[in-house]
Amino acid sequence: MISVTPTENQAERLDLENLSAEETALEIRNLNLHYGDAQALYDISMAIPKNRVTAFIGPSGCGKSTLLRCINRMNDLVEICRISGEIRLHEKNIYDKDVDAAALRRNVGMVFQRPNPFPKSIYENVVYGMRLQGVNDRRTLDEVVERSLKGAALWEEVKDRLNASAFSLSGGQQQRLVIARAIAIEPEVLLLDEPTSALDPISTLTIEELITDLKEKYTVVIVTHNMQQAARVSDQTAFMYMGKLIEYADTNTLFTTPSQKQTEDYITGRYG
Amino acid sequence: MKQWFKSGKPWIWLTAGSVSISLIAVLGLLILIGWRGLSFFWPAQIHEMEVRANDGSTSTIIGEIYETESIPIERLQESGVALDNFNEPTLERWLIKVGNREYVPLDFSWVLEPQIVRDETPADLAVFERTKDGNFYGYVVDVLEDGVSVAEQRSIREVLRQRIERAVELNGQATDLQDSEISAINYQLNQLRLERRALELAGNLTPAEEARIAAEEEQLRQDYKVLEEQLFALRDKASRDQVQVRDMRGEVVTLPMYRMLAVHFPNDMGFFAKLGHFFVQIGKFVSQDPREANTEGGVFPAIFGTVFMVLLMSVIVTPFGVVAAIYLHEYAGKNAITRLIRIAVINLAGVPSIVYGVFGLGFFVYMVGGSLDQIFYPEALPNPTFGTPGVMWAAITLAILTLPVVIVSTEEGLSRIPSTLREGSLALGATKAETLWRIIIPMASPAIMTGLILAVARAAGEVAPLMLVGVVKSAPMLPVDGNFPYFHLDRKFMHLGFHIYDVGFQSPNVEAARPLVYATSFLLVTIIIGLNLTAIGVRNHLREKYRSLEH
Repeated sequence: MISVTPTENQAERLDLENLSAEETALEIRNLNLHYGDAQALYDISMAIPKNRVTAFIGPSGCGKSTLLRCINRMNDLVEICRISGEIRLHEKNIYDKDVDAAALRRNVGMVFQRPNPFPKSIYENVVYGMRLQGVNDRRTLDEVVERSLKGAALWEEVKDRLNASAFSLSGGQQQRLVIARAIAIEPEVLLLDEPTSALDPISTLTIEELITDLKEKYTVVIVTHNMQQAARVSDQTAFMYMGKLIEYADTNTLFTTPSQKQTEDYITGRYG
Repeated sequence: MKQWFKSGKPWIWLTAGSVSISLIAVLGLLILIGWRGLSFFWPAQIHEMEVRANDGSTSTIIGEIYETESIPIERLQESGVALDNFNEPTLERWLIKVGNREYVPLDFSWVLEPQIVRDETPADLAVFERTKDGNFYGYVVDVLEDGVSVAEQRSIREVLRQRIERAVELNGQATDLQDSEISAINYQLNQLRLERRALELAGNLTPAEEARIAAEEEQLRQDYKVLEEQLFALRDKASRDQVQVRDMRGEVVTLPMYRMLAVHFPNDMGFFAKLGHFFVQIGKFVSQDPREANTEGGVFPAIFGTVFMVLLMSVIVTPFGVVAAIYLHEYAGKNAITRLIRIAVINLAGVPSIVYGVFGLGFFVYMVGGSLDQIFYPEALPNPTFGTPGVMWAAITLAILTLPVVIVSTEEGLSRIPSTLREGSLALGATKAETLWRIIIPMASPAIMTGLILAVARAAGEVAPLMLVGVVKSAPMLPVDGNFPYFHLDRKFMHLGFHIYDVGFQSPNVEAARPLVYATSFLLVTIIIGLNLTAIGVRNHLREKYRSLEH
């Protein structure tokens, strides 16, 4: 049995069934997803609250990453992928025809499992998103770099070598650089897809602390296969199994008094 | 034994053996053509031999030994050579380059070793390099200025050198005048002719225009006369001196100094003097124009033509290949048609190059070029401008020939880029095109360079298609010169590969040409290696820069 002790830094409980409009960052309604003939997500509905950390947990292949990638339409890249249902951001379905995926992704940033810095300098990595938006003013970019690197707790380590290659950083530093790159364009929502799975324990700890800080400014959604991590960093946790959302509750409740048998089995280590 | 097979050692021997054979083959080839080619520039000893012919008469031969071979004695007897008191089955035969082309029927002659009764290498024997009629071998007797002797016997070599230098200098001035100013006037005159013709065709040739063009032409003709006079003055000055030489027949002949390029006394040179001469000769070989139907002089126009055409081809093939590869890899649907196209592209690399030559001639030169002439250069017709083989068509033909290589290696490079990087860029709000430009193409650039390296290696060595679409034996003008618009892509050009073929197999004197063939081959290989090394250097730099994620 894995002992999971929720920590104190979790925010007050919200009524996840009835969030008010101001409290809601994203609302997923009846989302179904097929890869070709195989259905990967079944009728998912949930509301993700603003300025909170929401974790998706579940065994491998349960669809948690797929769900996350729906939120910034990363699944568009997969040709055989079909989606029905809605994901509403600001009362607007992001799958509407008139929504520009690139514009959406500027608002919904994403950090991936493995650090993926571009083969450029640290500085250029951070300002990549700004340059895409046509911002080339040196002063503005300098400010963005400092703010973002501080926001990602990397500034002190790299401030003297901003023009060094991003590959000269360690894995953990690279992952924080990627987070800095994501927050440089100030998205509202930040999606983290198992951000620490390729990192050592110390780097993991640093990133986890960072996630807790990030929620002051951003809504964070994190996918993790590590239950302790979910328990440590998240305010709400969603447990998914076989493409279905089994239980969605605030983290304390889910880990201490799960209402579903499957959830209990999973968090007590009976499968997964 | 079974144990030995199981240990895998035979496999190691087999693979290592293959590598060794390849290495030996490549090195052997390079050493052979390098040795044969470079030894041509080393000053050879000049022999003076007395040869007794069959009938007992003797003659003197002066020249350098070009080649020795041993031949069976029967063959000689069959061909009617009587050899007394000689019993060995084979004997040596020497090929002597005797030069002096205008005085002897053949400037090469075979000498049988036993027929030589005297063989010396006197220090006073001189070798003259000349602009016409090849080398001259003999003893310097006197130097004449306006027919009057100016040489003191003590320093005759010094005087001779000075006079030759002066002649070369004056000739150089005359050539410069011809190549730059006089050729510019000719070019302008031709442009004026075309302008008048263009106006005539358009029906706009008013008397005022006619008068203006005529006035300009008159002005140019005046300038031309002045230059012509300068040219004749230079030539007169150059023909002031003469040199008297005693040749191998024992006769003293008077040679004009303006034909002389250089003189050296190889039998009187030390090692370092020879070494210096060697490098000077190599320098001349790569920097001078060919003479005497390509059998003498340098190969500069061929080097220039080869490099220029290859660079032009690279400029054409790289963007085309890269764009095609990007479409195939990034945008085209993953279906049967795309697969078919890809197979077609790969098979395109297997089409024999002469087929590309025929295609280039038929399609580019006659169709495209002919149409271009009709539309843009009607005034020059019936003389074709682009409707005739030229360096541009050669470059485009070779670009098509090498396109598959660039496409295949670019696609390879594109597929090696980790998808996480694409996703990372897209997740920051980049569109697919922005991701391509900012991340994918820079990262694929080492692969693109690899494609270009292979393309250059293939194109620089290609001769067959070029013979149809632009290469000539001797091009009067380089495709780049000082006349606007500076790059004349319609001109024909010389190419080292074709030069080798021409010198080796089309020249009147195959014996004389053989070392040149080796030297030119060596040069071609050197240039291709040089181009490749440059590209490899660039690629390694890029690779280092875009080293992808490997942790």
